[in-house]
Amino acid sequence: MILRNLKFALNSAWQSFWRNLAVSLAAVLSITLILILAGINLLVGHAFSQVLDGFRTKVSQISINVSDDTPLQSVYDYQAQLAADPRVASVKFVTKDEALTQFKSDPQNFILAQQIEGNPLDAKLDVQVKSLDDVAAIDATARQWPGVDPTDPTNYQGDFINRMLQLSAWLGLAGDGLLVVLLIVSIVIVMNTIRTAVYHRRKEIEVMKLVGATEWFVRGPFVLEGVMTGLIAASIALALLAVGYEPVVTRFRADIGFIPLSYDPAFISSLARDLLVAGALLGALGSYIGVRRYVRI
Amino acid sequence: MLLTPDFATRPVISFQHVHKTYPTGTEALRDINLEVPEGDFLFLVGPSGAGKSTLVRLLIREEKPSKGKIFVDGVELGRMKRRRLPHYRRKVGLVFQDFKLLPNLTVYENIAFALRVLGASDHQVRDRVAEALDTVSLYGKESTYPANLSGGEQQRVAIARALVHAPRFIIADEPTGNLDPATAWEIMQLFLRINARGATVVMATHNREIVDLLRRRVIAIDAGQIARDDRSGRYHDDFAKSEVRA
Repeated sequence: MILRNLKFALNSAWQSFWRNLAVSLAAVLSITLILILAGINLLVGHAFSQVLDGFRTKVSQISINVSDDTPLQSVYDYQAQLAADPRVASVKFVTKDEALTQFKSDPQNFILAQQIEGNPLDAKLDVQVKSLDDVAAIDATARQWPGVDPTDPTNYQGDFINRMLQLSAWLGLAGDGLLVVLLIVSIVIVMNTIRTAVYHRRKEIEVMKLVGATEWFVRGPFVLEGVMTGLIAASIALALLAVGYEPVVTRFRADIGFIPLSYDPAFISSLARDLLVAGALLGALGSYIGVRRYVRI
Repeated sequence: MLLTPDFATRPVISFQHVHKTYPTGTEALRDINLEVPEGDFLFLVGPSGAGKSTLVRLLIREEKPSKGKIFVDGVELGRMKRRRLPHYRRKVGLVFQDFKLLPNLTVYENIAFALRVLGASDHQVRDRVAEALDTVSLYGKESTYPANLSGGEQQRVAIARALVHAPRFIIADEPTGNLDPATAWEIMQLFLRINARGATVVMATHNREIVDLLRRRVIAIDAGQIARDDRSGRYHDDFAKSEVRA
């Protein structure tokens, strides 16, 4: 009996979708546009998080400048101490000579390097910290170490990092906010489509009620119609996004090279899952609210 | 063979001090007391706006009484949970003046519709629809759409739909209102046949000729109250006069 009812509901939903084709297509189109926007939002969010990951790796490395009068043994001891710290991934000792070589090898320092007499650079300990959250703590302990150069202890720029992290948090929040607004708009669109479908089928609904159809027998086809609308829209949006993703990333990389945006084909499958689930849920929720409001037994 | 309603047994429909006032303040029914035994054939008569349709709407639980109680088959309609409502309506067959057929469905599909919503199998649908078509003498019109049928034929389809799920009650609101006298008479014969099989029939009507000819129970409603309850009554001339005056 459940199967028979499901067959009836699917049939009714399909018929209703085609009978009100103009309204159905308008709804599909609107939700497609919204899901495309939502998809772009997810793609941009994903690209940004990839860029941010790269940034995190960079800023989670700090250099501790060693004062010239620190005995070498003391530096080795401190290097061993840091290496034993569970928060630290690796520690590398860079001697004064190596530091100068590094400095000179950078083309940006070409003119400055010619004017240098002797070696004004400090030897340093390059510390790779596992988590960005621990960099500040490692920096604080390094500054306590007696062998550190008191005039320029480390290259840690806490303020800059904090600002970047804050900015990324705000951007994430704004993306989420935009997603919520888009979702609400699509629910309202589905609700209105269902209202039109209910209006077109009011005679049928009246007859159904009079012959003793249960509330869910009457409502079921409308909810299925909503799910169908959402799934069709999600499929179209997904197809367009999948086709457009790679060319847009390539174009972006060509134009704005300094942002290391990358094409991630694996993300398409997670985007497909998100969009299809979102489409079906939006359709179901919008039509559920719609039928609860407009179909009363 | 006609079944004689047993007035001594517990009534299947009972109105106890029923009042109905609409939110607009219109008092449609006042202190209605009415008992209908199983198998009864009852005419509700009265001028337009007297309250007949409100009584029918209360009976199919499209409205709840403002005061008083209505029992059908031992269940109080006013207290019935909404989810029980479909099950109640399956005991009732409804026939309306405007037929309420679905124009995009054939005769067969219209009748089958009442069974499909109950989740009947294709096999059950085939058998029962054939039986109903036979009862209303519409064999051969299965594939016709309502628009291609006469008024009388459309009403017969509506009756077939009302009785296809073998209801215990038939409630009809002006079922002959849109029909010529000869066709109206044919439709009445159908109702009599359904009643003879045991279904209780409650019919609101303006058709004086039919009421006077059949001499069944007549409840006359005037200004929201029961003015008369005759076991084998006539339409009564008073209403005709008041209708003319109005």
